[in-house]
Amino acid sequence: MRVVRQAVLLLRSELRQELRDFELLLSAGFFTLVLLAMFYLSFASLPVKHSLPAVPAMLWLTIAFVGVLTLTRAFDREREADTLRALLAAPVERLAIYLAKAALCLLVLMLCCLVLVPGLWLMFPGGAAFAEQPGQTALLVLLGCGGYVAVGTLFAAGLATGGGKNTLLFIILYPLTTPILLYALATTRALLDRHPDLPGFLGQMAALDLILFALAALLFETVLVGAGVAHRPRDRPRDRNLSRKPAP
Amino acid sequence: MSAAALRPDAEQPAPVAALTGVAQRFGRQVVLRSVDLELPAGTIVGLVGANGAGKTTLFSILAGLLQPDAGERHLFGSPADEVDAAARARLAYVAHAPQLYAGLSARENLALFADLRRACGLTTRPADEVLLALGLPLAVLDRPLATHSRGMAQRVALARALAGRPELLLLDEPFTALDARGREQLAQVLLAERARGAAILLSSHDFDTLLAICDRVVLLERGALVRSAAHEGDRAEFRRSAAAIWQAGPDDPVSPAPDLC
Repeated sequence: MRVVRQAVLLLRSELRQELRDFELLLSAGFFTLVLLAMFYLSFASLPVKHSLPAVPAMLWLTIAFVGVLTLTRAFDREREADTLRALLAAPVERLAIYLAKAALCLLVLMLCCLVLVPGLWLMFPGGAAFAEQPGQTALLVLLGCGGYVAVGTLFAAGLATGGGKNTLLFIILYPLTTPILLYALATTRALLDRHPDLPGFLGQMAALDLILFALAALLFETVLVGAGVAHRPRDRPRDRNLSRKPAP
Repeated sequence: MSAAALRPDAEQPAPVAALTGVAQRFGRQVVLRSVDLELPAGTIVGLVGANGAGKTTLFSILAGLLQPDAGERHLFGSPADEVDAAARARLAYVAHAPQLYAGLSARENLALFADLRRACGLTTRPADEVLLALGLPLAVLDRPLATHSRGMAQRVALARALAGRPELLLLDEPFTALDARGREQLAQVLLAERARGAAILLSSHDFDTLLAICDRVVLLERGALVRSAAHEGDRAEFRRSAAAIWQAGPDDPVSPAPDLC
């Protein structure tokens, strides 16, 4: 319960800051619109049979790009004032920090999807199934974004505290999120094809999300603070050269 | 230098915090070398050293922000291989930067951290009380933090730390950006915290202020604690040693060599 209470407090603080400058929402929303416009200009003339396989790619490419932008900006706020270290030194459960950041990024991505999914439906005939199955579409987007955010929050936090460059996030994140993006692509294709086993696809995505969230939650403290426990010097041969300077 | 040598009085109870043989390296760079340090309750220990001597790394290890590569860390009488939330509830760390959310006001920053403590069932003292003691007018609390001066932000960060009545107070250059009046007020607040029984470790380049309030001063040189001076006794020797370190420091723009006793 303490974790949940602290996560809610942190998320409320994040939202309060976001509602003052709309920094995340504006950058992510504008980028979504730009990508939609580019996709439309490039693929609007495709016949239906060709646009059908392109729609899942457009959906998840946009989410991948907007997601990394959101994760970067979400932790830049912490990086600029070094506030993440203040939270880490406070009696705040690390899991609460993770949950709050992940929830914020998921919320931003879902709001972008409120533009993206109807946009794809309106612009491409292949996206008509989104409107026909709104419940499954919402669940698909939620599960896909959830898995992406589960992994992304972990590494974005690690880079924010470790002084890593934001460009590293792009390099690290895309290979690691490939499984969830591939699953999401396959499930989106199943949805657009009205595949009878769509619930099975969604169930597998939900299971993958659970695994990713559990792994990320387990690793979050290690990524932020460092692995393992302190070892005695005698246990660490490599520390023998750390000579103690005698007191004068 | 042994841990016992850094303890002012062998009859003191178990220290609030202790490091034994702590070493830390980043890549090939050795930052701390077998550091032994004890912080008894009700004492103020000053940590001095040139830029890059390893002071901030030492603070980070004590605050649980960094796992030492080697050595033992004890907090509140128990081994602390990891500094969990229960231990963090009993300590407070003020870093060199205020570490406050610029998008929130000072009051919202303080309220957030107070609420986070309350979510653990912990109490906090009213922030106003601490802020007044630190000389921050309450009228500015609702202004966005971005409009505050560095000194005002520093006071807010100190108030956040002090609100939880910590047993261990870690202050990395707390006098930075404070005016003369602010320094005096902070010194008084720290003396009151010491009287309450808190163990305080603070670093500063303000040598005279350190010597005025500290019970003990230790000197960190290239990652090793090489000198210690108690409030009485070998202060003159310590001043001479510290002056030599200051003068040899490669890039310490702040402090001239302190006056020799």
